[in-house]
Amino acid sequence: MSELIVVDAVDKRYVTSSGPVDALRGVSLAVGAGEFCTLIGPSGCGKSTLLGMLGGLVHPDGGRVLVDGRPVDAPDPRRVATVFQDAGLFPWRTTLENVEFGLELQGVPRDRRRATAVELLGPLGLRDFAGKYPRELSGGMRQRVAIGRALAIDTPIVLMDEPFGALDEQTRLLMGEWLLDIWRRTRKTVVFVTHSLHEALALSTRVIVMTARPGRIKSVIDLPMPYPRAMESSDLVALRAKLWSEIREESLRAMGEA
Amino acid sequence: MRILQLVSIAVILGAWEAVARAGWVDPLFVPAPSAVAYAFAKVAASAFAGLGDTLAKTAIAYVLSVVLGVAGGVLLGSVRPVRQAVNPFVIALYGMPKILVLPWIVLMLGFGTLPAVVYGTIHGVFPILVLVTGAVRDVDRSLLTVARAFGARRWQLYWKVVLPAIVPTVLVGMRLGLVFCLLGVLIVEMFAGVRGMGHVMSSLANGFQAPELFAATALVSAASIVIVLSLDALNDRLSHWRGDVR
Amino acid sequence: MRVALIRVALVAVLLGIWELIGRTANPLLYVPPSAAVPALGRLLRLESYPDLGEHLLLTVREIVVAYAMAIAAGLGCGFALGLNRLVGRAYGPILAALYAVPAVVWYPSLMLFFGLDAASKIAFGFLLGFFPITLAVLAGIRQVNTQLVTVARAFGASGLTVFRKVMLPSMLFTLVGGLRTGLALTVIGVIVGEVLGSKAGMGSLINHAYGLFRTADYVALVLVTLVLIVGSDAIATLVEHRAQRWTE
Repeated sequence: MSELIVVDAVDKRYVTSSGPVDALRGVSLAVGAGEFCTLIGPSGCGKSTLLGMLGGLVHPDGGRVLVDGRPVDAPDPRRVATVFQDAGLFPWRTTLENVEFGLELQGVPRDRRRATAVELLGPLGLRDFAGKYPRELSGGMRQRVAIGRALAIDTPIVLMDEPFGALDEQTRLLMGEWLLDIWRRTRKTVVFVTHSLHEALALSTRVIVMTARPGRIKSVIDLPMPYPRAMESSDLVALRAKLWSEIREESLRAMGEA
Repeated sequence: MRILQLVSIAVILGAWEAVARAGWVDPLFVPAPSAVAYAFAKVAASAFAGLGDTLAKTAIAYVLSVVLGVAGGVLLGSVRPVRQAVNPFVIALYGMPKILVLPWIVLMLGFGTLPAVVYGTIHGVFPILVLVTGAVRDVDRSLLTVARAFGARRWQLYWKVVLPAIVPTVLVGMRLGLVFCLLGVLIVEMFAGVRGMGHVMSSLANGFQAPELFAATALVSAASIVIVLSLDALNDRLSHWRGDVR
Repeated sequence: MRVALIRVALVAVLLGIWELIGRTANPLLYVPPSAAVPALGRLLRLESYPDLGEHLLLTVREIVVAYAMAIAAGLGCGFALGLNRLVGRAYGPILAALYAVPAVVWYPSLMLFFGLDAASKIAFGFLLGFFPITLAVLAGIRQVNTQLVTVARAFGASGLTVFRKVMLPSMLFTLVGGLRTGLALTVIGVIVGEVLGSKAGMGSLINHAYGLFRTADYVALVLVTLVLIVGSDAIATLVEHRAQRWTE
């Protein structure tokens, strides 16, 4: 499998009012095409920072990030799309207009981008909400629009930073199933940041556990099981326990330090 | 609600009429509403001409105010060092009664349309400038991040994120600015005897023509209210994506 | 620190440009700072306008009277409209509509009625100051947390007590802000009234100097008037800060 994303010994340091803080130190990983790779770890472990680097929004202080063999120094909407935790929809745009946004920036003519957006509304489950404004949509719907916006520019890679974090549990579970369906249909490479063990195990082909700050890769767990995942199967239950013990260890370290 | 308002106005007008007819007030100073209505016909020609003049000047000053105010506000709102250096001056000038420089402006620019337009612009530009500066500063940072993540270039950030985001504030500023521009133009007309509604009203006052003056005042007030209410309606239509109450 | 230096530099540069223009251009139009300062001196020594003190006092008197009236009427109207829902909803829109009219349209009528004396300036200043105070009262009442009122009533507080102990403290901040704006506008109203037509007061002196092309004196008068304005606002700010400390 070709390595689509390569992170090579990356460091990131922030200067805060209470002194310099190492967010990431010597992080290296690789993500292959078509994978669903989840980053999980305690709060403050730098997973969002790492995702920001993949998206070209954050620059590493040391090391480098390569996408498709090329170093990343700015957002590349031809290769990478991002979904943020708070959806980040433009309140003055309707659902359709929000989905079109990336295409608009790239200068795609009106008819074509409108057609693309309309086509996406079906799988997004938003066909009846095309003309609504974000304030008229529920949290789950807004995230679907945000994901639609990312899918519209049809990039090989989609980054998601805790996209379901602000939703209630039931909505989260449903959204997870829905996302899985979309991913399997579009065959994109997904890098997914989450706090949720369930999501990590139910959705990913690979889980990367990060340490407490300064963030490093603690362990990498491959999940070759078929979809949809049988969460009660013995190997998944065992993996869940293993995953939790690792995360717990790092969480306690993070809390102890704080 | 409407009924109560209309009834109150009718009652006040009725009482006023009765008081005037009974001779309790000097008709020279407080004419009866009927006299005002009658005088309106007499003075309509010059009043409407004057109003047209004033509104034309106000329109020019208004366009200038909006363009300068929005452009200046976007500049000040986005470029931090410029804002920090210049903002206190802007606030100071906003609060300063501009009437103090009016004699000097008339001295420099004479008695025509130009001083009226310049003074009107000076009046109208400040609320817009201050409001737009604040709005640009307050644009949700996360929306800018989203746009950057999707590859927006600098000009696209302004065109597609900042400008749509500040539209509600710009409209509020435009409403204020309009009243201020009109105010400025009227003041110049009254001060320097320049053609226009201000001058018409000044002359009527000097001539002790109370009914005609009241009629003219009512006319310009009505015009102002109509224009502002139209702006408000426009504001409502353009801002419906916000959904909150003004 | 750097910012303060930039500002000082800006002012210095502006003054410098002004000085340059003043020296080369028509002295009737452009008074350079170097000519304005001696003019200011002449003014303060009562050489250019011997009765400066009387005029200044008159202007201050007009402001004080107009402001006192604006406070009384503004608070009265504000509370009448704000506390009584029916009255407020009926007459509130009328108030808002009147606010859309630039105040100066009333001035010729005031001049006709009161003449050129202080009364018309006081009336105009009152008109300008009255609106922001009323609006501030209305805004203040609107933002009182109704839950607090309910709690107070549940503890048996009477209407007056609720007003004094719950509503007033919650709205004090907004109210003081409105009072401050009202003062600024009253000052503007009085000065505008004087400049547009009066026999006495700072505005009339400005008019006089302008009429006789005594531009340097005009600049000096403007500076003195600015001090008056800034001074009144400074006093208002002080009171506002005091009020803030009380509400904390």
